[in-house]
Amino acid sequence: MTMPGRKVIMNFEVTPTSHSLEEYRARGGYATLEKALKLQPADITKEVTASGLLGHGGAAFPVGRKWGVMKPIPGEIHYLCANADEGEPGTFKDRWILENAPHLLVESMLITSYALGVRHAFVYIRGEFDLPYRRIQGAIDEAYAAGYLGKPVFGTDFALDIVVYRGAGSYVCGEASGLITSIEGRKPYPRNRPPRLTVRGLYQKPTVINNVESLANITGIIRMGAEEFRKIGTAKSPGTQLISISGHIAKPGVYEVEYGYPWAKFLDEDCGGMLHGAKMKCVVPGGISTKVLTRAEIEPLTLCHESVNPAGSGIGSGGMIAIAEGTCMVRLLQVLLRFYHHESCGQCTPCREGMGWMHRIIDRIVEGKGVPEDIDRLYAISAANDGTTICGMGDAAGYATVGILNKYRDEFEYFITNRRSKFDGRLECLA
Amino acid sequence: MPRLTIDGREIEAAAGRTVMEAATDAGIFIPYFCWHPKLSVPGNCRICVVGVEDKGGEWVEIACNMPVTEGMVVYTNSEKVRARRKATMQFITLNHPVDCGICDKAGECTLQDYHYEYNGERSISVDAKAHATKHYSLSPRIVLDNERCIQCTRCVRFTREISKSNGLGMQNRADHSLVRAVEDGSFANDPYSDNVIDICPVGALLSRSFLHKARVWYLKPTASVCPGCSRGCTVNLWHRRPEWRLRAPGMRAQNETIDRVTPLENPAVNGPWICNKGRDIAKVLGRARAETAMLKGRPAELQGAIAQARSLIAAARKPVAVVSSWASNEELAAFKAALGARFSVLVKADHEPEPGEVVQDDILIRADKNPNTAGARALFGEAPLALPPDADLVLVWGEGLDFGLIPAGAKIVYLNAWLQPENGHADVFFPTSIQTERDGHYTNFAGVTSAFTQCFPRPAGVADAQALFAALAGQAGGGE
Amino acid sequence: MKHLIPEFEKMKERYPEGFESSLVLPCLRRIQEDRGFVAEEDIVALVDYLKVPRIQVEEVLSYYTMLRRKPIGRFHLQACRNIACSMRGAEGVIAHLSRKLGVKPGQTTPDGTFTLTEVECLGSCGTAPVVMVNEAYHENMSTEKLDRLVDELAAGVRAGGK
Ligand SMILES: Cc1cc2nc3c(=O)[nH]c(=O)nc-3n(C[C@H](O)[C@H](O)[C@H](O)COP(=O)(O)O)c2cc1C
Ligand code: SF4
Ligand code: SF4
Ligand code: SF4
Ligand code: FES
Ligand code: FES
Repeated sequence: MTMPGRKVIMNFEVTPTSHSLEEYRARGGYATLEKALKLQPADITKEVTASGLLGHGGAAFPVGRKWGVMKPIPGEIHYLCANADEGEPGTFKDRWILENAPHLLVESMLITSYALGVRHAFVYIRGEFDLPYRRIQGAIDEAYAAGYLGKPVFGTDFALDIVVYRGAGSYVCGEASGLITSIEGRKPYPRNRPPRLTVRGLYQKPTVINNVESLANITGIIRMGAEEFRKIGTAKSPGTQLISISGHIAKPGVYEVEYGYPWAKFLDEDCGGMLHGAKMKCVVPGGISTKVLTRAEIEPLTLCHESVNPAGSGIGSGGMIAIAEGTCMVRLLQVLLRFYHHESCGQCTPCREGMGWMHRIIDRIVEGKGVPEDIDRLYAISAANDGTTICGMGDAAGYATVGILNKYRDEFEYFITNRRSKFDGRLECLA
Repeated sequence: MPRLTIDGREIEAAAGRTVMEAATDAGIFIPYFCWHPKLSVPGNCRICVVGVEDKGGEWVEIACNMPVTEGMVVYTNSEKVRARRKATMQFITLNHPVDCGICDKAGECTLQDYHYEYNGERSISVDAKAHATKHYSLSPRIVLDNERCIQCTRCVRFTREISKSNGLGMQNRADHSLVRAVEDGSFANDPYSDNVIDICPVGALLSRSFLHKARVWYLKPTASVCPGCSRGCTVNLWHRRPEWRLRAPGMRAQNETIDRVTPLENPAVNGPWICNKGRDIAKVLGRARAETAMLKGRPAELQGAIAQARSLIAAARKPVAVVSSWASNEELAAFKAALGARFSVLVKADHEPEPGEVVQDDILIRADKNPNTAGARALFGEAPLALPPDADLVLVWGEGLDFGLIPAGAKIVYLNAWLQPENGHADVFFPTSIQTERDGHYTNFAGVTSAFTQCFPRPAGVADAQALFAALAGQAGGGE
Repeated sequence: MKHLIPEFEKMKERYPEGFESSLVLPCLRRIQEDRGFVAEEDIVALVDYLKVPRIQVEEVLSYYTMLRRKPIGRFHLQACRNIACSMRGAEGVIAHLSRKLGVKPGQTTPDGTFTLTEVECLGSCGTAPVVMVNEAYHENMSTEKLDRLVDELAAGVRAGGK
């Protein structure tokens, strides 16, 4: 989708062949790798740290800081995993990279691996993705054939193997430690920290896991240099964000937004406004695990961390969902809680028991059998999952729940008192 | 060595220890379900939360996975900790059945104890409890109640990390996860399987042989040593408390039986584990007993038998004794003191491996299926069991000797606890006591000596070997 | 499974040494692609080939939603029911499919042609509602498009093709 502003990733015209190695090279592809291999590995990490790049997987953790933990000691085994699980509902931006710019990811992973002393890297891709899988696997096969992978490259002694590891249907495999356990071929239980994965990760070896979009930025950063990169976006949110927008919006799709872009303008103009000209009720900013913000709340905000975070939510995974007036938030929360219940790995007590409990409560409310205490109970279960679980899943479910309850408590009270939805249980946006 | 403060007490802990370990070492209690000192740390139950002082505030984290750091200030019972623990207890009991009245674990159930300690309130849920499989057969020995399971994965980790059978797993996900045995049935062949019953913090794993047999508070543990092999694992033998003895006539068997066997933790020998043979030792000890002395197969008074044996011993030119590797050190020493000079002494294996039994592994099980071979050999040497053809008197102590090896014409004095055909072939037969009827010690294959304690009275007519040897040597006393 | 071993051997080449356990999931996926499900004999052969504990394979099979141990219909219709799809009519899509095929989600048509499953977000929310037919995503679904799709697939079966 077209967007004003500077681009790091969606900076070429997509055609049926634009993902090929040939066209990628014609756009200057793999030249940055050649340049990077002339630098010292530590200098690459320094450059990435200086760029201020923040992780795009959801937590916005500084990429350079994560890499800094891993010292490329020769002879030590290190691993890199690109997180292409893209499981957060509302998110489909990494898929754009995998389908349209797979070589950008491969080149970025080569540069990253060189910086981190990695000999074997993985792309962990969600099990359902078919075309994205074929595209990234195709690009990797092309890169092997062209000599970028599998053997020393550009006359150096650096060589890299990349394996595409396909999941088989599980949200927690997107959580970094769950992902690692999945690659180990076991039931993907997330792991407690400490130890951090950069200390003991895949098969107990230091491992860096970054989101696909985070990694896709690396080539651009090394090509233009940190200083140039920082000119894009804002001081506190350098660069761009791929936003995948869906829901009751006229032009759903993936947009590369320069950080600092006005939010309302993005929705009203670039995304074509609401579906059927409806009025907007609220928006899920970045995946369902971020708290909803009402239309009024987002009015003054710009799309960057320093603007969205103080409003009590986050850019998250960039999975934005626009919700029209007249949507039943009780039923919407039911859909979310059903999902969290379905996806809890079942390992730790608060999430395993809490997800099922919340799901049963919301189902009961929707059946018209809610009791007034249910609302407090949902709050309490959310609170009891906040910071108490092994992975962020329990917390995420709590945020989603509290976000909706805080703003639409009246709809829940209405449903419980009247035993029916204030909005006919509607999830769709009527024409 | 980092120094830290727990509940105002300053303690020192080795670097790399967790707060849970440091607290446990210092005798400070932090509740836990999933943590087990011998297993990996999954940190999944979340009951072990503690508060840690941090920039004027307090953050709450699990103790079992938190490394100690210098100057750390930890609270195990702050308001925040109590609130979180209570919330966790509410989660754990959410779908837990109200089964205590029919649950074998009641009385020694961690969940019961913690409920009274950390929650104690009625359920706050208005929804019906979720149901799961009850009475699921994990193996011929173990029954599983999935509703009671709190999914701590101790049992699963045990089979992965200790017994290495990989016999158990956690199937499915979310709150419909289920402990299940591997489908090829191999969990049934895990010779250590029953340890999962002990380490299960709740009554989810139940011993079929103990199922609904007794409330644990009617039972009393007596410290003992498993005689099943030369590891000599220390165990608790559970039997009815004297004050709860069944009074009806004919109840001796029920009152004087071992209802269950559990490990008695012992770092020098078996750690917290025993094998399934140890669990079943009541079968070995419960075999039919010999309770009457005999002369050439005819019942005799004990005193008469002693007189006869004494004269046979006095008359012998070449007396040989074959002593028992199931005898206690005390009995063996008594034999040596009383008759050691008179006899040439050989040590025998009372038991050999049974068909199908695990002979030896690198966990606990030893090939020598006798508890005190080392104790006997320490007194009587390593000589192989070869009876000299010119022996004219053989004193056999304990079962397991093929009487066909005894030179023809030699007189036989036999001491045995069990009702066995050989008893009648001896010139003099003495019924002797068993381990549960006396105190004593065994020395295991590695030289570690462990004590066992009497559980039941010695039956009338059965001799105490220690006293018997003195009598046979002509000293005072008569064996009873 | 045994006929796939040469393929597995090739797959192994790109993995670091000592990653046998990692092969469990890709091998199971490949076996399922080949047979339509993972059979008992596959499990036995895989355990023997990779030298991993059988319980690991059983746990993995029971955990992931995409893996199955029983055959299903020839066409697996997986309809997303998560937020973006629900907001664009997924409930109607699922109800329509259910009526049309005469089965509830989770069931297979008696002739073994279709299995209908409800699934969570497929990462295709911008083109909601989404229905997967075997491996392929069908996006922006409507009842009309569904009817056409299902009818075409059924006709293909009747004609004996794929
Ligand atoms: C339940 C859960 C699911 C997650 N799913 C994804 C995912 O699908 N993709 C992703 O990139 N990160 C996901 N994350 C975040 C990862 O744990 C991790 O933080 C991220 O991949 C790190 O990459 P980054 O630092 O480049 O953002 C998830 C986290 C949680 C708690
Ligand atoms: S929070 Fe939920 S998904 Fe994460 S480890 Fe715990 S049970 Fe599993
Ligand atoms: S496991 Fe414990 S709390 Fe549960 S029924 Fe048994 S005794 Fe009661
Ligand atoms: S059966 Fe017992 S030991 Fe095993 S997971 Fe359940 S509660 Fe824990
Ligand atoms: S004992 Fe620490 S989480 Fe279970
Ligand atoms: S909600 Fe259906 S694809 Fe995301």
